[in-house]
Amino acid sequence: MIASFWRNPHARRLGVSIVAIAVLELMTGPPGNSEAPTAGIRESFLEASSCFGLFRTARWVVFFFVAILMFAIWTLLLWKGSRIRSGISSVLAAPRAASQRRPVRWGVGLALLVLAFMMPHIETDPFWQAAMVEQIAVYVLLAIGLNVVVGFAGLLDLGFVAFYAIGAYTTAWVTGALPTPPPFHIHFNPFFAIPMAIGIAMLAGIILGAPTLRLRGDYLAIVTLGFGEIITIFANNLYGITGGSQGSNPIPHPSLHLGPIHYVWGLKPVPYYYLTLTFVVIFLVAFSLLEHSRVGRAWTAIREDEVAAESVGINPLKYKVMAFAIGASTAGFAGVVTASQSNQIFPSSFTLQFSINILVLVIFGGMGSIAGVVIGALIIQTAYSFLLHSPPQGYQPADLYMYLGALLVIMMIFRPAGLVPSRRRKREIRLSESGEGHMDEVLTGDTP
Amino acid sequence: MTSDLIFDVQNVTLRFGGVISLSDVSLNHKRGEILAVIGPNGAGKTSLFNSLTGVYQPQEGSITFFGSNAKPISIIGKKAHRVSAAGVARTFQASRMFSALTTFENVKIGAESHRGIGVLGAMVKGPATRRGEKMSDARTIELLDFVGLRDRANTISASLSYGDRRRLEIARGLATNPQVLLLDEPAAGTNPAEKIQLTQLIRKVRDEMGVSILLIEHDMKLVMALAERLYVLNFGSVIAEGTPDEIRANVAVVEAYLGSTTSDAEELK
Repeated sequence: MIASFWRNPHARRLGVSIVAIAVLELMTGPPGNSEAPTAGIRESFLEASSCFGLFRTARWVVFFFVAILMFAIWTLLLWKGSRIRSGISSVLAAPRAASQRRPVRWGVGLALLVLAFMMPHIETDPFWQAAMVEQIAVYVLLAIGLNVVVGFAGLLDLGFVAFYAIGAYTTAWVTGALPTPPPFHIHFNPFFAIPMAIGIAMLAGIILGAPTLRLRGDYLAIVTLGFGEIITIFANNLYGITGGSQGSNPIPHPSLHLGPIHYVWGLKPVPYYYLTLTFVVIFLVAFSLLEHSRVGRAWTAIREDEVAAESVGINPLKYKVMAFAIGASTAGFAGVVTASQSNQIFPSSFTLQFSINILVLVIFGGMGSIAGVVIGALIIQTAYSFLLHSPPQGYQPADLYMYLGALLVIMMIFRPAGLVPSRRRKREIRLSESGEGHMDEVLTGDTP
Repeated sequence: MTSDLIFDVQNVTLRFGGVISLSDVSLNHKRGEILAVIGPNGAGKTSLFNSLTGVYQPQEGSITFFGSNAKPISIIGKKAHRVSAAGVARTFQASRMFSALTTFENVKIGAESHRGIGVLGAMVKGPATRRGEKMSDARTIELLDFVGLRDRANTISASLSYGDRRRLEIARGLATNPQVLLLDEPAAGTNPAEKIQLTQLIRKVRDEMGVSILLIEHDMKLVMALAERLYVLNFGSVIAEGTPDEIRANVAVVEAYLGSTTSDAEELK
């Protein structure tokens, strides 16, 4: 009986809709506790809730309506889907064609830049001004950096946090905020920490990269994972050098003394926002030029077929180490911003979780697409800040990763190349699905 | 005396654990020659190619390559990208293009790979980077014209036909300014018309660019028409060497082929 029901496509769609919405209902429902482990499940369905603000009823009724709605939309899409899609694409055709033209691109970019610089004046809420630096701008920067490693060069780096930590601890070190004395016993202004942190993070990238980037795929991921952990453990346990889990001493704010200009970055977040934004713009321009240069093409070649790339004279190791070092230096700079703005750093902020968060931003936005990772980071981090600022009823902070995970699963099914896919990546995914392209096939043997 | 050679392979043995892939192989390739290596499946032809290009490292023997100015270079122990920089270009048995890139980009990658990297220059698009881009663009167009793929420059390489893919691989290899081009079964999967075009193209590469050709091929008609000299490999050893006519008359070769596939042996006769 169930089998024949399942064979009917309409019934199957309805069934899938109901199950999917039931899962959603469980996810958004109240948690259980150790006394009554099933209470969460029961209450998820039975708790009273407002039905779209119209009347109050049990949650399952509300969600049943949602399931019917999902079924209806799904059916409509199957029935008129191609017409709807062609309608949408004909509406979008003109803007899409315009977006290919250079002056339009420059214009839009400039408008967005002006908007980004105006943002602290538009949004004056202190929570959001702080979030703009700590939660958004820094993460955009990190996502752009990791995109070079993961998106351009195709190297899965699970220890990106290590370079961020190195940047932050370098700042603390050169400003004299660590138990270990600063270099030459000079307490540097955090401004000087910027080149030093970038340099040291880059060096760490090269030192880690040169021996390990000979490994492929999973092996590299494991090594970088280990490196991330090592740095965190060092920060935690080297009391005499890093201050251990107590964190660093207060880190001074950067100040600029250039001839007649004297400016001190204080406790307020807005000046840091401008500082970070400036660097975001610099990195954006540099990396998009890089993507369309020989270096970017060589990365694509290595990502697609390392053996063929080597046969035309590309040294894969050199290019991979370069990607690693560039990504690391971006993270190093982000570390400086965080350290000098938050005044004190703790090992507990540099965990594996952090590396994975940045990776999620890159995958969500679209690996290899600079616009994609910026938009992805903006969306996820803004949503995250919003949930921190004014959590909707029934939301617990512990639920965050459940939603994020669900979002990624859905993305991978419907939009595997990300929100704004890079054109090359999208093609690669399509080709490998249709059996084209070679992912490290055997080199040997004659054709059968 | 050695200057008229391009490759000098002496007593090369390549093992994978207990499996001997090449055993005591010696051969020489004269500069400007179209040389072919034939043999039944599993005879070690592709292993030989991989050894010549630095992908495999044979345990015994020596491989000397005479690059520009006939300077002898030992191949064994060199990485594939260094071998490419020395002047050896190759194509692959199952064409390996960068399939998500256009034809133009594929060839351009070959044309620009031997210049310095200049990552900072690339980030600010400095004058040296611009000049380099212009040079490789010009070279790419020249090569696409040469192999006859100019009108396909902006096609995604995965959507090219088999024949066009071979030509793309040849153009990409030539873009690295090689002394010798190694072709691994260029005719596999192509139709008769494409085979004729390919034969002409390979001759043109040698005649107009002065690039020596080393060829592995199963298609006996193509080999006999194209090659000036042949080596026959069987079970990892050279069993015969000579002109196409000599090979046709060689009993050992016919037997080697009769031992594997009859149709090939008949083609040989």
